[in-house]
Amino acid sequence: MNRDLKVITERLDAGFQRRPQVRYQVMITNDPYDKTYNFFLNYQHRDRRLRSKPLHSVHDYRLEYLEQLIKGLRDHTKLTFEFVGFTGERWPSNQRLIQSRRLNDE
Amino acid sequence: MDYSKEPHGVYFLIDNKSFYASVEAVARGLNPLKVTLVVMSEASNTNGGLVLATSPEAKKRYHLQANVSRQRNVPDDPQLMVVPPRMNLYIKRNLQINDIFRRYVANEDLLPYSIDESILNLTHSWKLFGKTPREVAVRIQKTVRRELGLYTTVGIGDNPVQAKLALDLYAKHNPDLIGEIHYETVPDTIWTVEKLTDIWGIADRTAAHLNRLGIHNMYELAHVNPYELSAEMGLIGQQLFALAWGIDRSKLHNRRGPKNASLGNSQVLPRDYVTQQDIETVIKEVGEQVAARLRHHHKQAGCISLGIGFSYAASEADGRGGFHQEMRIAPTDQNAVIVADLLRLFRRNWEGQIVRNVAVYTTRLSPATGLQLNFFEPAAAQIKRAKTDHVVDEIRDRFGFTKLVYASSLLKGGTAIERASLVGGHNGGNAYE
Repeated sequence: MNRDLKVITERLDAGFQRRPQVRYQVMITNDPYDKTYNFFLNYQHRDRRLRSKPLHSVHDYRLEYLEQLIKGLRDHTKLTFEFVGFTGERWPSNQRLIQSRRLNDE
Repeated sequence: MDYSKEPHGVYFLIDNKSFYASVEAVARGLNPLKVTLVVMSEASNTNGGLVLATSPEAKKRYHLQANVSRQRNVPDDPQLMVVPPRMNLYIKRNLQINDIFRRYVANEDLLPYSIDESILNLTHSWKLFGKTPREVAVRIQKTVRRELGLYTTVGIGDNPVQAKLALDLYAKHNPDLIGEIHYETVPDTIWTVEKLTDIWGIADRTAAHLNRLGIHNMYELAHVNPYELSAEMGLIGQQLFALAWGIDRSKLHNRRGPKNASLGNSQVLPRDYVTQQDIETVIKEVGEQVAARLRHHHKQAGCISLGIGFSYAASEADGRGGFHQEMRIAPTDQNAVIVADLLRLFRRNWEGQIVRNVAVYTTRLSPATGLQLNFFEPAAAQIKRAKTDHVVDEIRDRFGFTKLVYASSLLKGGTAIERASLVGGHNGGNAYE
C-alpha cells in the first residue's frame, strides 16, 4: 500500500463512525489551481447540515495515479465516491466518464 | 476644501471575498460564490463551535457573521456544508496572493494589512497594466481568479484611506466587486453615509461619543469645527475629521515598527477553572510558552503582566470582568523566574473567582546578550538552569512541542498539549496534510 492510500484509509476509518441515520460519502475533487486531487469525507445526518472533513491532498497530479489510488480505496471501503471537478474527463484505462454531470454549485 | 496639496496617488485595497470559506470551497472544486458553506472552528474553548467564515451565499441565507455567530446560530439545513478550518492553508494562499500582487507593484509599495487584505500603491506602476486604474483592478481580479480560483474585491482611491472606504462601502456591494473614491467624489461617496459605524475606524463607542456631540452622520462630521472636535476628542478628533474629508497623508513605504515591542500569549479556557491548582497549571504553561518565545527572539523581558478574566457569573458577582497587573522584573528569559513572578501576581490578586481567560504579556524587551548572575546562589547552578531551558527549546524545535512536555501539563488544568497544533487558536490543518 502506498503512502497516500495509507493516509487516506487511516483517516477514513477514523472518521467513518457508522452512526445511525448518517450518510457517509467520500468526495474526490480535482483542484486545477494547486494541481492536486483532494479527498474529503462528507457525512450528513438526516435533515442536518452536511459536514465535510479533509482527508488528504494527493500531489501526484496524473489521472493514471488517481485511478490506481481509487482502485486501492475501492478494495478498502464500500462507501459511495463522489467526484467533483472532473466533468468531461475520462478514466485512462477504460475511457469511461469520471463524473457524469456537473454540480449546480461547481 | 483645497485638495491640491494633498498626496495624489493610485491606491488599491484588495481583499478576498469570504476568504476562508472561499479557499475551502475551491479545495472542494466548488464555486465560492455559489456554494453554501461555513467554516466552523470546534476547538474546545469555542463553546460548541465558532463560525470563522461564511460564504456569501450562506451569509445571505442565514445572516451569519464571521467570528460572532456560534454553532447555535447555524441552522440545521441539509443544504449547508460545515467544514473545519485549516489555518496553515489560508496562510499559504495569502502568501500566493501577495506574490501575484508583487507582479503589479514593487515590494515596498505592497503592504499586507491582514490575512486577506493588502494595500497596493500603484501610483508608479498602474500605467504599465491598463488604460485606467479600474482596468488594472479587473486584471488583478482575473489573475487571482484564474490562478487560485478566489474572488477579490478592490477598493480604489487617491490615498489609502479612500481605498479602504471604497472597499468597505462600495466594492463589497457592487456586482463587479470594485469601488472607487476620489477627492472629487468625497461629498457624494463619504458624506452620504448615514450610519457612522459603517465607516472604518468608527465603532460603537466612538459613534456614541460623536452622537453626544451632535454628530450623527458623515456629512455632519465633515462640517464640524475641527478645533472643537480635537479639543473634545484629542488627536483622534483630528483624525476623524480628516477621514470625513477623505484625507490621508501616510506614506506606505515608510514602514514603522512598533515603538515598544511586547510579546505575549492569551487563551480562552475551554471550561470554568475553579481550583487554584488548575488555574496555576495554565498560568505556568502560558508563562513557559511566552518565555520560550522570548528565547527564540533572543530577547529578555524587563516587565511582565498577567491578565485574568472571570467567567460571566463570577464577573457579575465581582463587579469587574477580571484583573490585570504588571510588574517590573530583572531582565530575564527563564521559565522558572517568569513563572514564579506570574504566580506571585496571581496569588496576590485572586480571591477565589472562577476563571475563563488567561493572558501573559512581557514588555521592556532588551536583547539577550548574557546572563546576569546573582550572589545568592552558586554560579554553576544558575548557568545550569538557564541552559536547561535552551536544551528543551532545541529538542522541541527538532521533534515537535508535544514530544517533551512537563508532567504538569498532564494535570486536569493543562491545555498546552491540545493547543500545540493550533494556529491563531484554531485548527492549523497540518493533521490533514
